[in-house]
Amino acid sequence: MDSITDPLGEMNVMVDQLPNRGREAEMLQSMGLETMEDLFVDIPSEVRFKDELPLRGPQSEEEIIADARRLLGSNVAMGGRPSFIGAGLYRNYVPAAVFQLVTRGEFLTAYTPYQPEVSQGMLQAMWEFQTLISELVGLPVANLSLYDGSTAAAEALTCAVRVHNRKATQANTVYVSELIPPDKMSVMENYCQGAEIVIKTLKHHDDGTLNLDELKLAAGSCGVYLEQPNPLGILDEGLITVKDIIGANTALIVGVQPISLGIVEAPGHYGADIVVGEGQPLGSPVTGGGPLYGIFACTKTYLRLMPGRIVGRSIDVDGKEAYCLTLSTREQHIRRHRATSNICTNETLIALMGAMHMALLGPDGLRDLAHRNLAACQCAKEILASTKGIELVHAAHHFNEFSIRVPGSAKDCLAYLDENGIIGGFDLTTWYPQYNDQILVTATDQTSLRDIEALSAQLAMWSMHQGVSA
Amino acid sequence: MSHLFNHSGAENTGYSQPQGLASVNEPSIPKGLLRQQSARWPRLSEPEMVRHYTWLSKRNFGIDTGFYPLGSCTMKHNPRVNEVIAQLPGIADIHPHQPEHHLQGLLSIFYEMQHMLEVCAGMDQVTLQPVAGAQGEFTAIRCIQEYFRQRGETQRTKVIVPDSAHGTNPASAAMCGFEIVEIPSLADGRMDLAALAAVADETTAAMMITNPNTLGLFEADIKEASQIVHDAGGQMYYDGANFNAILGITSPGLMGFDAVHFNLHKTFSQPHGGGGPGSGPIGVKSQLAPFLPGPLAARRSPTAQESSSAVDEYWYHWHQPEHSIGKVQQWHGNAGAVIRCWAYYRRYGNGLKTMSEHAVLNANYLRHAIHREAKKEGVSHLFVDGAETDVAKHEFTLSMQPAKEALGISAMDVAKGLLDKGYMAPTVYFPLVVPECMMIEPTETESKDTLDTFAEQFVQVLQTDAETLHAAPVTTPVRRVDEVYAARNLCLRHPFEDAE
Ligand SMILES: Cc1ncc(COP(=O)(O)O)c(C=O)c1O
Repeated sequence: MDSITDPLGEMNVMVDQLPNRGREAEMLQSMGLETMEDLFVDIPSEVRFKDELPLRGPQSEEEIIADARRLLGSNVAMGGRPSFIGAGLYRNYVPAAVFQLVTRGEFLTAYTPYQPEVSQGMLQAMWEFQTLISELVGLPVANLSLYDGSTAAAEALTCAVRVHNRKATQANTVYVSELIPPDKMSVMENYCQGAEIVIKTLKHHDDGTLNLDELKLAAGSCGVYLEQPNPLGILDEGLITVKDIIGANTALIVGVQPISLGIVEAPGHYGADIVVGEGQPLGSPVTGGGPLYGIFACTKTYLRLMPGRIVGRSIDVDGKEAYCLTLSTREQHIRRHRATSNICTNETLIALMGAMHMALLGPDGLRDLAHRNLAACQCAKEILASTKGIELVHAAHHFNEFSIRVPGSAKDCLAYLDENGIIGGFDLTTWYPQYNDQILVTATDQTSLRDIEALSAQLAMWSMHQGVSA
Repeated sequence: MSHLFNHSGAENTGYSQPQGLASVNEPSIPKGLLRQQSARWPRLSEPEMVRHYTWLSKRNFGIDTGFYPLGSCTMKHNPRVNEVIAQLPGIADIHPHQPEHHLQGLLSIFYEMQHMLEVCAGMDQVTLQPVAGAQGEFTAIRCIQEYFRQRGETQRTKVIVPDSAHGTNPASAAMCGFEIVEIPSLADGRMDLAALAAVADETTAAMMITNPNTLGLFEADIKEASQIVHDAGGQMYYDGANFNAILGITSPGLMGFDAVHFNLHKTFSQPHGGGGPGSGPIGVKSQLAPFLPGPLAARRSPTAQESSSAVDEYWYHWHQPEHSIGKVQQWHGNAGAVIRCWAYYRRYGNGLKTMSEHAVLNANYLRHAIHREAKKEGVSHLFVDGAETDVAKHEFTLSMQPAKEALGISAMDVAKGLLDKGYMAPTVYFPLVVPECMMIEPTETESKDTLDTFAEQFVQVLQTDAETLHAAPVTTPVRRVDEVYAARNLCLRHPFEDAE
């Protein structure tokens, strides 16, 4: 009780969050109780903490923000220097209106729209999000987000097995591109192991494109997961023929970088059954890798066995247009252990940021944005290709990123660049140990010519130190 | 109505862009991959877009709008400084694959959060990787699965859950491949130890339970339950959705649990965002720690070279547990949410107990106020406690079964009546073990005055005739929404075709 009788002291800083500080006695009395302790008589003493939590004291808002500025200020923000790291998350410009609108308390502080009559705003916004995504990827159905691109891909695999397993000649089997980064692969394995799904890998040619001859092996399995652009940034025209090779009863699942779809064909238009992707480039900063949002869209075949929440347009009792969650019988709160997924809390607010960004861009804005990303990538490729000591690994069309070979260890090279104030890219050894002289270089709409020239100059310098003559 | 897809045809874009970079060769993509038809997205100028979303926001109810007593969801106030902090470039503009010396601030905050959660939960190691409560459940059950596989106890194929458990518990365990054994609760809503003892055996991998339970009651027998499961060789899993009741008072560790998830979006005020994002860290006892998904934040003394980037006397680094199950999402968890929750934690520090006390105070106060007011107005026969108890914890349940039988007023009718009074409705029809259930969780951030007024209004709803309640709500942007119509006439996207 000393927290009540001690009106001063540092505990007092929490008064601004607890409206009933100082009214405890009055409230307890109205219930015929005397002390806070009386509210906890049902908790046996053997499971009670004996002492105060051994944690630091409370802080005021001003102290917290000062500490946050100091600690977060010590992190190196990508925007403060030439930065070429991407590998699945992309630095972009999110328009100011998105940030301003998304902090409106009516959106920010609501929860899942269980009461549709007072949640029409978010429900309609998510129904519009479903439409925006559906149009973007060229498929009729989209949910209102999964956790991130990796869980969306993983849930697509389990969904494909639920739908196709009965007729599959390779039951409980899916195929995944061998280039998929190990971290994403690990998510897939974790999601698939419970259903005893076997994940086999698909080979790529040395030029980075998919080996279409080997793809035949995947026919009759439940699903095939490929990415466009692939994890090395390569735009692979071969994907257009994949659906014909694997056939109707094997799901073609394509992972996308959503901005690329401003110029690259929507996978739904070349036979994809499910399209997933990391939504982050549309609407959200990189934020240390989360919160993000996973895109999940599919054909109607998968509708009743797909994961995640879905909004439907309906009517109210007066026949007025209204929106509500629908097809909930797939979900955990109704279907429990037979649910299509365990997801409950999802990434609605980040998806809303995505919707706002898409609404601002419009179709022409998206095309322009895709072109800027393509142009930055092309420009970086040309400059680095003519940089002493540097080679492009793949002669291909790239979106956002491409691999370079450096004369020596990628790790040492990146360390040198870092010492010179440049985040030079992603060390591909992290994904593929055999590529120890390769760096994945990412250029986005936020990359400037000056950044690329700085990278080129330092790469040339490092190459020279490595003994490559000028 | 404002419709996003009615804005079309004009040349507008709400976002003018600078020129792209020039290159020697025109940038190109493979011919066959050129997009043939652009997405039928709307064309809006910025002012139109801002109006549309502002209009939508006005048709949505958040904690900022009014009292939001949604049981099991801990809809507490979200301090605004947390949003300011989350926009700082040191979190918004960092990449998870940057080198450690670029991320010392982030790592130190991760370390502090891991430590704080370990202390609060009485666990040996926390990972911040899972991004929601359900993912925390999935992750911990996966760790338990690998733990038993490594010990050769592969016959442990079952997970026990009480029938009052949240749907994610059985769903998460089933996703790992476990068979679910559901045990019935006692008539008073508490766990049935005899039923537990009858099913716990050498096939049991784990029991999943929350305490206080989903009725808001503390399970005083929890140590006995842990004993039964441990004697059978199983592990105890704590669903931390109800953590707001017990911070600084008791911990899952003290109760005998081996693993626990936190819903940071509940207990630590990450805004719920209309459905997410969340953050669902898990904590485990040492036997499960080697299996956690990494990376975890760790620290040691810095080398001379490192000390120039250090934020304090330690050097922070990522650490991969030895037998890690691998990843459950691709990066380092919802770092942005963790930062907000860190800012929230700093506000209370070792005073977190005061926060929980106030959460419990408010719940009990509201429960009494409703009963008192109902008695005064002569409607106390229309509902009963979902479970009999002297004190509840951070939430409580009421059963509207008597009102249903006497007047044909269901829990849903009462919920809709409350919407007309300007409130968000409590959770209804959960837990499933209470008929016509309303689950009410006021949280610590509501004032006594708000609780008093809500009690009065709640009773007023009960005094309303059934016909009026069946027709409620009438003051909301739309009236009762036809969910059956939505399911029968599926319209999941804008029907462009009809418009053409
Ligand atoms: C009791 C309980 N357990 C688990 C969950 C799942 O948590 P999340 O929604 O964060 O996945 C919830 C919340 O919705 C809950 O109330």
